[in-house]
Amino acid sequence: MDAVTSPPAQERRGIEFAGSWREYLPIAATNALLIVCTLGIYRFWASARQRRYLWSRTHVIDDCLEWTGTGKEMFLGFLIVVLVLAPFFLFFQFLFPALIARGKADAAFGVLFLFEIAIFYLFGFARFRALRYRLSRSWWHGIRGGSDDPGWNFGGEYLGRYALTFMTLFVMFPWATTRLWNSRWNAMSFGQLDFRADLTATGLKRYWALLYAVPFLVMIVAAVGGISLLGNGRGQPEQWRLLTFALMVVGFIYLAIPLLTLNFFAAFYRKAAAATTLGDIEFEFDATTWDWLKLMVGTLALIVVTLGFGLTYVGYRNWAFMIRHLHIFGTVDIGELEQSTTRAPREAEGFADAFDIGAI
Amino acid sequence: MFAAKLYDGHSAFPHDVSAAFADGRLTLTQDDGWEDRIDAALLKRLDGGPELIRLGRSDAPGWRLLAPAGASAEVESFLSPPDRYGRWIDRIGLFPALLVGGALTASVVAFGYFAPALLAPHVPMSWERNVGSAMVGDFGDIRCRDPKGQRALEALVERVAPGSTDGPDGIKVAALDVSMFNAAALPGGYIVVFKSAITESDPDALAGILAHEVAHVKRRHVTQALIRELGIGALIRLFAGNVGANAEQIVSLSYTRESEAEADSDAIAMLNRANISPKATAELFASLSKETGEGNGYAAEFLQSHPLNAKRAQKFAHAFDPRRKYSPALTRDQADALFNVCWKRPVK
Repeated sequence: MDAVTSPPAQERRGIEFAGSWREYLPIAATNALLIVCTLGIYRFWASARQRRYLWSRTHVIDDCLEWTGTGKEMFLGFLIVVLVLAPFFLFFQFLFPALIARGKADAAFGVLFLFEIAIFYLFGFARFRALRYRLSRSWWHGIRGGSDDPGWNFGGEYLGRYALTFMTLFVMFPWATTRLWNSRWNAMSFGQLDFRADLTATGLKRYWALLYAVPFLVMIVAAVGGISLLGNGRGQPEQWRLLTFALMVVGFIYLAIPLLTLNFFAAFYRKAAAATTLGDIEFEFDATTWDWLKLMVGTLALIVVTLGFGLTYVGYRNWAFMIRHLHIFGTVDIGELEQSTTRAPREAEGFADAFDIGAI
Repeated sequence: MFAAKLYDGHSAFPHDVSAAFADGRLTLTQDDGWEDRIDAALLKRLDGGPELIRLGRSDAPGWRLLAPAGASAEVESFLSPPDRYGRWIDRIGLFPALLVGGALTASVVAFGYFAPALLAPHVPMSWERNVGSAMVGDFGDIRCRDPKGQRALEALVERVAPGSTDGPDGIKVAALDVSMFNAAALPGGYIVVFKSAITESDPDALAGILAHEVAHVKRRHVTQALIRELGIGALIRLFAGNVGANAEQIVSLSYTRESEAEADSDAIAMLNRANISPKATAELFASLSKETGEGNGYAAEFLQSHPLNAKRAQKFAHAFDPRRKYSPALTRDQADALFNVCWKRPVK
């Protein structure tokens, strides 16, 4: 009797976003004002407020989510990261130019390489910690999520998989990114339930191959087209036709590459959600490339039309988009769902903030 | 008395309870006789959306009491409203916070804008020399070390600014084997000239360039830049993030353009004193202007740290007096030695 079941799709959806931009306006406006008036320091409290609103307007089955993270802990997390990153800052500001000025370019670039590896490691670590922190501050029915994994190993795995990706000229990217999704989510839990992710590159490879092949195809078409235009010299002057053709090729590249990248990531998130479960709960994410495009163009248009104020709605729009396209199926036995025993991390997502990860 | 749902923080199961506030305490009861009393001081209101009142407990994470909106009158008389802007802002109120914050921000920005120029003249040269030698050292292999050429370069600096290379705080000038048309003043009184600037310009024009860099050193513009970049710039970038960094860049650009114009005026005065024609420098800027193909737009100048080359050319050309008998900046031998300063003789 304690089970609540996510209803079939025709009825009320299992997860719904009930916020409205009008209701959010006072939050957006005062956040923007306070950020400006505090030299940016308020941004940590602003994002806590934003999440408190977004989570509280997100209904999952029969109750809304709750965000308990505070601006203060995010600010402290940021200060810790400043201390950790200080040596990197000093290196870029002093040591690197000093070595260059002394003609020791080898040493300078050698140390630069080591520092870049370290930053890459920290970047992966940051992605893990941000997810862990967010889950540990997200509550539903008085239960929270979390992880017992500190994420140090994930940083290493992230570094290794991306090193392999670079060495294979990005051919390995779909494998790297799907395995990393699994490693990250398999370490997470909600209550006593573990997330399980079993995402593979099957079905993603063709999206990647398409994106990978397009620049080469365009080069071949451009070369063949250019040569055939050169040979055939009647009608308009030759250089005009060549120029038009070149512009078309360049225009195509500028359109095709971003669209195909979007196409890949849209497919990635659809498959990733489908491959992830929490207990008996299954997920579905149905945003198509077209949906993502509408989101991005809409956000851009909003920012331009509102002369920048629309920036305060980026997080809102992204969250609403995510929840509107996310579906959950299955049963949660709420009598059996018990409190998480994971240690709630005390520091917030300072690293993720420092590396500018995460839209919300 | 109102009906409510209780999550105990141990399981997700919602318990139906009746709740009532009395004597500074919240009493929860169930039909089966279960009862719990909680000190109101431990309770806090949380944002529950428009339909619900949500209470939490500071001593029990996950403990939540969900009451219908109809109970708001009873709850409000016992508990203060939920945190709104964050505790430090809530304590003083939004408008006072905006006023105080705005005033503080304005003063920090004003300090950041004016402090470098005010502080720079008071930074002891010996400090700056230490920073400078730590930053640049002896330039290693990229420095051109031909002794005759080096002497000619120093002579040229002495020509435009007599006595400026003397003593421990004197200007140290170095030619660098880098194929780039540029020269720069660095912290600690270092002036560097890149190879292309030496081989592709007339000694008179080089005198104009060096005079400009000497002016930067003497007016402590380098010290100002150092304070701005390392002190205030780093702080702003740290706390204000990307927006702050962009704002800082715009401020520092307008700032450096002022310094550049000042250094140009000083350079013209130095050339005048040394009786070197400013015409060669004017021609140099005119040709640079043509090379970079700069228009007359205001936007181009606004975004550049240096004034437009065309404008600088005009300024130097204006200082040229066609009736005056100028003397060359360097003798023929000196000019030849300088031209070859980066020439490495093959080892025998």
